[in-house]
Amino acid sequence: MKNYLLFATLIILVSCGLDKGSKVKADKVKPVVVTVNYPLYYFAGRIGGELIQLEYPIPADVDPAYWIPDDDDLEIYQSADIILANGANYAKWMNNVSLPSSRVVNTTSSVKEKYIALEDVATHSHGAEGEHEHTGYAFTTWLDFEIAAVQAQAVKDELVKKFPDNKEELEANYELLKKDILNLHKLMQDVALLLEYQPVIGSHPVYQYLAKAYSLNIQSVHFEPDEMPSDDQWKEFDGIMEHHPARIMFWEDEPMPGVKEILNKKEIKTVVFNPCSNKIYDLDFLEAMKKNINNLSKLE
Amino acid sequence: MNQSFYLAIKYLQYYKIRTLVLVGAIGLILYLPLGLQRLIVESEDQMMARADNTPLIIGAKGNSTDLVINTLYFEQTKIDGLQFKNIEAIDEIGFGFSIPIISVFKARGFPIIGTNLDYFHFRDLKIGKGINLRYVGECVIGKKVAERLNLSPGDSLVSSPENFLDLAGVYPLQMKVVGILESTDTPDDHAIFTDLKTNWIIMGLGHGHQDLKNVNDPSLVLERDSAKVIANSKLFIYNKVDGKEMESFHFHGDINNYPITSILFIPENHKASTLLRGRFETGEFKEQIVVPSLIVENLLQKIFQVKQIFNTAFILVGIATLFILGLIIILTLRLRKDELYTMFSIGSSKNKTFEIIGFELFITALMSVVVMLVLYSFTGLFVDYFIHQFII
Amino acid sequence: MIEISNIHFQYPKSDFKLQMDRLKIDRGSKTAIIGPSGFGKTTLLNLLAGILVPDEGQIQLDGVMVNNLSENERRNFRIRKIGFVFQDFRLIPYLNVLDNILLPYRINNKLKINRETTASVKNLANEFDIGDKLKKYPAKLSHGERQRVAICRALINTPPIIMADEPTGNLDPENKRKIMNILFEYVRKFGSTLITVTHDHEMLKGFINTIDFGHFQNN
Repeated sequence: MKNYLLFATLIILVSCGLDKGSKVKADKVKPVVVTVNYPLYYFAGRIGGELIQLEYPIPADVDPAYWIPDDDDLEIYQSADIILANGANYAKWMNNVSLPSSRVVNTTSSVKEKYIALEDVATHSHGAEGEHEHTGYAFTTWLDFEIAAVQAQAVKDELVKKFPDNKEELEANYELLKKDILNLHKLMQDVALLLEYQPVIGSHPVYQYLAKAYSLNIQSVHFEPDEMPSDDQWKEFDGIMEHHPARIMFWEDEPMPGVKEILNKKEIKTVVFNPCSNKIYDLDFLEAMKKNINNLSKLE
Repeated sequence: MNQSFYLAIKYLQYYKIRTLVLVGAIGLILYLPLGLQRLIVESEDQMMARADNTPLIIGAKGNSTDLVINTLYFEQTKIDGLQFKNIEAIDEIGFGFSIPIISVFKARGFPIIGTNLDYFHFRDLKIGKGINLRYVGECVIGKKVAERLNLSPGDSLVSSPENFLDLAGVYPLQMKVVGILESTDTPDDHAIFTDLKTNWIIMGLGHGHQDLKNVNDPSLVLERDSAKVIANSKLFIYNKVDGKEMESFHFHGDINNYPITSILFIPENHKASTLLRGRFETGEFKEQIVVPSLIVENLLQKIFQVKQIFNTAFILVGIATLFILGLIIILTLRLRKDELYTMFSIGSSKNKTFEIIGFELFITALMSVVVMLVLYSFTGLFVDYFIHQFII
Repeated sequence: MIEISNIHFQYPKSDFKLQMDRLKIDRGSKTAIIGPSGFGKTTLLNLLAGILVPDEGQIQLDGVMVNNLSENERRNFRIRKIGFVFQDFRLIPYLNVLDNILLPYRINNKLKINRETTASVKNLANEFDIGDKLKKYPAKLSHGERQRVAICRALINTPPIIMADEPTGNLDPENKRKIMNILFEYVRKFGSTLITVTHDHEMLKGFINTIDFGHFQNN
């Protein structure tokens, strides 16, 4: 009974830690580490543990890639000792603010060659420049679990610099995390064999790294799980289906019944594969990914 | 009061203009060598302090003196620049970290320095009024800039379209002043600090426009599908970045290729500094790395050789002045012959006469020294001007 | 009493010579020295005052052989015993009337200025009708006012001997009479000996002794 209460208390406290309401300025006794998305928050927590004060000002109901900090949030980042960035231009807001660059760690800087350039970009032109596009990269890098392990290593390396005396502990924590991540990698490799080269439709263009790492044939539309796509969007969907006859559609979250019905009529199965950019309910990163992989395994 | 002193005072008081001219002239002659000495010494100290506080500077190969002057003192000399990607290449080695500097533009005569928040931590710059930089388009200004331009947080400042690199496509940017630094008696007092990205916007490498996907004015859009939207030239490019507009601001191309002027490199320790310099010397990097204190010391040595010439000139002027003063005294005594003879006739001794004249000279000398001291005390105010006019 | 015997004086690098066998002036008397310019009247006055020293002969003032004194002694003697009125006033231009009158006190350490001294100045100035001019400077005074300041300066320390070189020169007749009357009154009041150099024969009235330099030199 005691253990249960303690566990419940811990859960509540951890949840509170992710609550946007706790935008209190960092306690400067421990070095403050702040991240731009949930996966990095998870990695930092697993590796740094009690050595660091982890901050996460991003509210639970937004996509961190499109989140824009307000003045208070920005101050948390500006005053942090370590800012863990994803790389691949993930947090676009970082382009528009001033930060102490020496404290920003791009966790994918060592694997830049693996960045996936976006083909499906919003091209536009104005003025004398002529037509151009915003060159960008896909940014859900952690869905390639080998890259996720590299990101975890980058977090560990930065923390070891900060706490050279605790190197052993940090290394040990990292090894455990790495093991867990690479286990995900193995599981994903196995389940991906079931989908080998089968055309898959993604509800959003967030599965690029997953597709590349595990040889999945995914093309994406821009459907929201809680919205009925417009006629034009269905038209676009059908257009893709003509040359990409998918029978499976990945969703970031369970689609609304009406959409599911239409997809069923088109004989397309829906599978929830949540990229976990932000925290999912009461599942941590590992649990969320395992659940995703489990969902895929049910497609058999 | 001593009667001789009284008579001396009366003499000087009565011939006010003559006295003031003499006091002013002697005071000035006494001041000149001392004042110049102070200017030189304080300039030297200030410049060396700035250089000593900066471990390493990295820049494109070329004139190292210009590189240091540009980076340390914000004199926008013509030097080749670097690219932003140089920073990562150098920081990857792990010997310390880089602080990028862009120094190309001005606003109302003051240099705009693009950098990041690390610069403020490194130079220990404190915000006196307002807040530090948050968003692109904001600026933080030095104390002297605020005083001269009468600016406060919340005011605007527009960049000048001219730039010494003759860059085309420069967009004057209206920046928002968000903070004023506390005074540091360094070139930072005379600078306008922005984020690197703000400088790139002025260069035209970044801009904002209306979100094309949500544009409702059909006359702006030529073609649209789910993948792309093509607009016509009617679309307006903002020349200010402010809060809300930020969401649709962006940069074109690869930011790693964007230009910077130079890099302040902060090594972890002395060994790291030496090792890094070694790597540059072996040709691993195409750029140059300099130790600012060595460059500045060399610069000052050359310039202050001129000091010797000044000192010789002052000595000669001083001797000439002494001769002239002696002549003036002799001529004055001749003119006062009757007056002095009168006093003698009435009952004054020769010693008394010498005493009166002696007091006159003493008071004149004392007042000259006061003038000299007053001028000397104000000399410190001109150190900045001296550095900018005669040294860099 | 003032006594001269067999004095010879010649200015260096000059042909001018002054010779006098004998001269006696009684205490409290009024003596005028008259004669044309250049005959040595002022020279005689300077010799009597000890400003110049004769090459030969003796000058005795109040029992003191002035010519035997050192320069300092002559100076001290002069400041205590003689009030000198110069031919061209010789006011100090940068001192106001008050300070000009007090000049003897300012140039000699043996004389001290106190409240009584200042009061004496004011009284003396009032007697000579320049009491309201004490703060003015010589440049702002008329010719006659300057003359009176010079006389006040000579009288301020109540000297027993007053030597005045042309004290009424260039004054109008009325002012001449005024000045001389004040001087005579002073001499009468304090029993001082007055020796005046003048070329104005009109002013000889009131003087007991007259030394005619024109006649004297000729003789």
